[in-house]
This record gives sequence, structure tokens and C-alpha cells, in this order.
Amino acid sequence: MEQLFFIQYEILPAFLKGLKVSILLIVPSAICGLGIGILAGSLRVYGNRLGAGLADAYVILFRGVPLVVQLFIWYFGLPYLGVYLTPFAASVTGFSLCSGAYHSEYIRGALLSIKRGQMLAAQALGFSKFQMVTSVILPQALRRAVPGCGNEIIYLIKYSSLAYMITCIELTGEAKILASHTFKYMEVFLIVGVFYLVLVSIASWFLRLLEVRLSLPGFERHRM
Amino acid sequence: MSQEPILKIENIKKTFGAIEVLKGVSLSVRKGQLKVLIGPSGAGKSTLLQCINFLVTPDEGEIWLEGQKVSHHRKRDLYAYRQQVGMIFQDFNLFDHLTALENIKIALVRVRGMSKKEAGDRALAELERVGLRGHDHHYPAQLSGGQKQRVSIARALAMDPKVMLLDEPTSALDPELIGEVLAVIRDLVAHGMTMIMATHQIGFSKALANEIIFMVDGQVMDQGTPEKIFSNAVCARTREFCSKITELYGE
Repeated sequence: MEQLFFIQYEILPAFLKGLKVSILLIVPSAICGLGIGILAGSLRVYGNRLGAGLADAYVILFRGVPLVVQLFIWYFGLPYLGVYLTPFAASVTGFSLCSGAYHSEYIRGALLSIKRGQMLAAQALGFSKFQMVTSVILPQALRRAVPGCGNEIIYLIKYSSLAYMITCIELTGEAKILASHTFKYMEVFLIVGVFYLVLVSIASWFLRLLEVRLSLPGFERHRM
Repeated sequence: MSQEPILKIENIKKTFGAIEVLKGVSLSVRKGQLKVLIGPSGAGKSTLLQCINFLVTPDEGEIWLEGQKVSHHRKRDLYAYRQQVGMIFQDFNLFDHLTALENIKIALVRVRGMSKKEAGDRALAELERVGLRGHDHHYPAQLSGGQKQRVSIARALAMDPKVMLLDEPTSALDPELIGEVLAVIRDLVAHGMTMIMATHQIGFSKALANEIIFMVDGQVMDQGTPEKIFSNAVCARTREFCSKITELYGE
């Protein structure tokens, strides 16, 4: 009885507040991350030497440094250069840039998988490189990148919990506060785990739906 | 026929690594002519066709379209030139994510800047011309090889090309599908389309080609009317090759 009371009046209100912050972190980070990933991935495959080099350097940097360290730099480091980000802005910046680096790798793989013949056909019709990439290659490559990029978005949902390290109190942050006030670590963290599980399940379902909706005749999902 | 050639290529050379694929090829084609390239594989027919619209950049040589020297150094000029030269590939190269109709529309909309409505009407007309009305909304994976090749011809035709380059358009097709594609090409000949075509279709070439160009090892070994090449070739290598493909592909 007491447990139910605790869940209903302490955990749920705090978690719903935290969940809202988490979602506000995840959605823009996922969108920006994917956008950055598409840009960086395309540059790495089709860019000139400068563009490809810059995109490569970006990926090396942001995949190579732990996300927590990146977040600390955005939040605690930047003020030394006179740039002050709110905890929320620093988190979204950190997540988007980190996520973009991983997305670019999935996008790059998908771009490379498109048959060269279609590019020749596009060029022969008078397409510029930009037109070829945007209207022939990317629409096909993005479909192939859905499973990989979806995976990255699911990771993002979970690593959004790092935001509390730079005082952006989201779901995990609320849980941490509640647990240290009440010492009910087991209950609090089990329930917060369930919240993430549900978030991830919803995202997975949505991603699968997207994959099916975008599938083309001749390239459907096949169950083996 | 003292007409100026519509397309003239001079001394095209191309080397890939250590292999000299084209050793200085020249040819010209007048409006409405069909020139057929024959030769063993590795002779450089595909590379030559790809050099003509700079899908492969030749190391040396010049290309003239309607008396104007083609410059591929400025991208804008190159793209404009390619729009005037239609290309048909052995393996169709349709855009897999677009329906038959959209495959034709996309270049009209994005490259030509036509409105979607106008491009759609034009695309339908071209599908009609290759006998594929009713397949507008089929994706490439839902079409047979012959239908795919006809869509790719319709896609090239929609750009109103001055010259068409056909790189073995029937080689990837089952024997019973070859006829429908050749029928479309025959119709193009009848309508005065200027074409350079690499093919092994002897009967078709004999009946319709103005000139046969026999290539070996990156060079033009022999050229002339179909009768001359297929029946009265002076060159032994030509005779040998022609008897071999006649045996394989029939009359």
C-alpha cells in the first residue's frame, strides 16, 4: 500500500516532468542529428576534397571523444570562450553533433550501396551532381539507412540520460534526485528503466512502420 | 547527301591505367543516320559511347555537335550538352525508387525545369510511344527487361535528344523480349532519329544501319555499308568476326 502511494504521488509526478524534458531533448536532437548525418555522409561520399576532409575530421572527432566529455566541453568549457549555453541547449548541441557523426556512417554505407549505373543514367540525362544526389541517390539511400539510423535514434533515447550530468534534469535526473531523497533506489531506478523501455519500444515500432511505409516494390522486407 | 555531320568525333583516346582502351577513334554521323558499332568485347565500344557524352572523360580528342565544339570543362556546358545526347544502357539503369512515369518525369522537372503537369503529360506521351501506356505506375522491379528498356528509351526521348547512343540495348534481354525493344528502335529510325548503337543484332543492323563500324582493340578496323562489312569484307579479321556473330545471333 505504502509502495503504491509512493509510486503514485512521488515517482509518477516527478517522472512525468522528467519524461517531458527527455522528449524535448530527444526529438530535436534526433532531427538535427539526422540532418547533420545526411549532410556529413553525403559530403564524405560526394563532396570535393575539402568538404569530404572536413566531414571526415568531424566524424573522427565526435565519434572519438566520449559523449560526457563533449557535454562537459559544451556546458562547462564554452563559457571560458564567452559562450554560455543553457543546460538544455548544451545537451541538444552535444547530442545532435554526436548522433550526426554516427548517422553519417550509416548514410555513407547506404550511399555506397546504390548501383553506379543509376548515376550514369542520371548524368547522361544532364543532371548536375547535386541534382543526382538529391533526387536519385539520397531517396534510395535513405530508405536503406532506416534500420541503421533507427538504431542510432534508439541509442540517442538512452544516452539522453547523460543530460543530467550537466544539470539538465530529465527523466534520469529526476530519478536520481528522488532516489537520493528517499533512499528507494531499487523502486525508483526499476521504474525509470521501464520508462526508457517503453520509449524505446514506441520508437522501434514507429521505425518499423516507417520502414514498411517507405519500402519499394522489389525491395521489401523479407522474413527469412 | 553533302549534309554536315550532326555529331563528329575526332581522334578520341582513352587509357585506363596501363591499358589503352581507345587508340584514336574518329567517326561522324549525319542527321537521321544509324551507325552500328560491332566488335569483340573489350574492343572499346562501350567506352567510346561513354566518351561521346563524357560519362568517361577522353584523354584526347574532340567532339563536335552541330558544328559546335563541345567543351566539357564548364559544368554548365557539359550538362546542357548531355541533355541533347540520349543514352541507353545495356542494363537499363532505371531509377529503382520511381515508377515508370516518374522515371521519365524526373529529368524533365529537375533538369528542364518543366512544371509537373507538363512533364507528366510529356511522360505519358512517351510511354504511349514505346507502347507502355497502362504501366505508368509500375516500379522497375515490376516490369520485364524489355519493358524496362522501353521505359529507358522513353526517358531519353522525353529530353528531345539530337542524337541517341545505344550501348547494346538488347544484350541483357531474353530472346523473346529482344523483338519489342528492336521494334521501338526501328520506329525511331523511321522517324529520323540519329543514332549510334553498339549491338550484335546482325539482322537488325543489315536492314537498318547506314554504316557498320567494326572496332577491335580500341581502333576502327573496318567500316562501310552493311553489305560491304557482312558480305564482302576485304579485311580478314572482319570476315572472321562477322561469320562468328552471324553463327551466334543469326540473320
